[in-house]
Amino acid sequence: MSKLNETDIQGFVLRGYNLPVARYFFLHFEDAARARMLIGRLLHHVTTGQLWDGGKPESTVNIAFTQQGLAALELPDATLLSFPVEFQQGMKKRAGILGDTGLNSPERWDELWRDDRVHAWLGINAQSPAALDHRCAAMVELLEETGGAVALAAQEAAAVVIDGKPTTREHFGFTDGFGNPDYLGVGRSSQPGQGKLLPNGSWAPLATGELLLGYADEAGELPVAPMPHILASNGTFMVYRKLHQNLATFRAYLDEHAALYGGGKEKLAAKFIGRWRDGTPLELSPDNPDSSIAQDPNRSTNFTYGADPEGMRCPIGAHVRRVHPRDAFGFNGKLIDRRRITRRGLPYGPFAAEGEPASDTEERGVIFMALNASISRQFEFVQQQWIEYGNDPHLGNDKDMLMGNHGGRGKFVVQGDASAANPPFICSKLPNFVELRGGDYFFLPSITALGMLAMGLVDPR
Amino acid sequence: MSNINGKIYALNAITPMKPWKTLVLRGFFFLLGHIKPLQQDLINLSFIEFARWVVLPRRQFPFLGNGQVKEELQYDYLLFFSNFNGTWNQYIDAFSAVLSKGLNLVWRWSEKFPGAVPVTPFKEYIARVQFDTDYYYTAYPHAAANDLKSAHIVQASLDSLSQRAQACTPEQFADAYLRFVLEVQAHLGETGEAPIVF
Repeated sequence: MSKLNETDIQGFVLRGYNLPVARYFFLHFEDAARARMLIGRLLHHVTTGQLWDGGKPESTVNIAFTQQGLAALELPDATLLSFPVEFQQGMKKRAGILGDTGLNSPERWDELWRDDRVHAWLGINAQSPAALDHRCAAMVELLEETGGAVALAAQEAAAVVIDGKPTTREHFGFTDGFGNPDYLGVGRSSQPGQGKLLPNGSWAPLATGELLLGYADEAGELPVAPMPHILASNGTFMVYRKLHQNLATFRAYLDEHAALYGGGKEKLAAKFIGRWRDGTPLELSPDNPDSSIAQDPNRSTNFTYGADPEGMRCPIGAHVRRVHPRDAFGFNGKLIDRRRITRRGLPYGPFAAEGEPASDTEERGVIFMALNASISRQFEFVQQQWIEYGNDPHLGNDKDMLMGNHGGRGKFVVQGDASAANPPFICSKLPNFVELRGGDYFFLPSITALGMLAMGLVDPR
Repeated sequence: MSNINGKIYALNAITPMKPWKTLVLRGFFFLLGHIKPLQQDLINLSFIEFARWVVLPRRQFPFLGNGQVKEELQYDYLLFFSNFNGTWNQYIDAFSAVLSKGLNLVWRWSEKFPGAVPVTPFKEYIARVQFDTDYYYTAYPHAAANDLKSAHIVQASLDSLSQRAQACTPEQFADAYLRFVLEVQAHLGETGEAPIVF
């Protein structure tokens, strides 16, 4: 496969920018013509996938639309109806499928997400708070000049800063952001363990069509996409979820259970997720964290579960094993190749280091953004079957320890062995460590498609 | 009338075959029945409760007399019957992803079979030849096949612990209990409602 046309693809799709601060505006279009004018003006700002020869830019701009947003831009009905059903419905209507009920149900979401007013996501990432403010001011000016949209809200997000340096830690203290897949044609330094597993034990990039519309996917066919195809090609779908973290609950639960667990607190925390807090995979180093592994791209994601079917190193229900089961279901991992997602996103809210006071009510969490060619086949499947359910790993109705919508019920089994430092252990009466505060499904178009939207050139087929 | 009962889905598909092709298929079934490793992939898909293909020869359809008109059928038929856990899409996706060669050998003798890969025409084909279930009884709608297998493991292990416990000292019991927990620790999933089908 030759290289992709990187200048036609939004940069946000092809690479995690690794920029420490971000602001996500949520736009509402009031008039189609003015909104199109706004998109036309924005076109020159949108960051593409073109390589940064001159180093990282000070800031980046990307844009994506909800179904309501595309309707507000007055796309033809025939085109709107050609989008996949889950996108047309939006995330709120999929709450039952996703297990977004009880504490996570839409009536408990932030007000922004409770009605259907969000038309577009405008994502700005930057090197520094000053660069972010500068770029955002320019964006707000554009909104006002064109009258194309009102900003309903702006979500701040930023890498957690420890000792003056931005890190990839999240609020529970775990190092995040290891597991994004490699795709054919997407030029980035590829890392063993991030694509698909081959029968000989090596790893290869996934088919481009698992990420981008208009390319063959792992089943050898084009992903379901809206018509006309030029509107879809080089675009993708984005899932946006604001995940609130109940930090006090997490710490109290961990302390309470660590007191009963023979392996110690840090090991119990590692068993929840499958990695020690510094990121060392349990599968590679079950007894202690090892920064030489965590920081080595050739090792940090390069492992399988085949030799640990009973979960004695990494529990069968640990978060990373659930959401990226690798070879755990047999068939050399072939059953999972069409269930992979690319994650973007950053934490939000103040970081409270271990030992500092923390409450559940403070606004704190992670902005989870997932990119995939098919929301239903990829994100929704992972969320329903692997986070909120457990049949594939033979765990019945057990849910993901950290992400699951437990509501005070359920359990998590830490499989162990006969040694005192690695005993079997059961965590029960699970609270919701994470709560959903809102979000939606977005279409992230190519540069060509943005131009078509701006000029009103989307003809029905 | 539904194909779904709790965590289980019942799928029936009937496809016509030219009679001379039935002979070839029977040959393949004979091999499949006698070479166990050939069945292994199907068995390893743990969400399948069972899957069975049966040939319905055109001259062996029931004839009841009593005014039933004699028919001269042109085709033999292949009945596929399977019960599985999870959604229809998940099932066919998995079939197509890991069993395509075997499925092609079984179904290629049926008329208009498009092949198990790519998956979309395969799904269209199955949807077209599928017959919905009129009545579907299942003893454990809140349990998947994996849950039942796990329950057997836990039960057997508990029974044996209970037997050993009769004559145990407290120290021996502690040891026996640990071994019991290690035996069952990967088989303790809850049973319950199935996720919403989509």
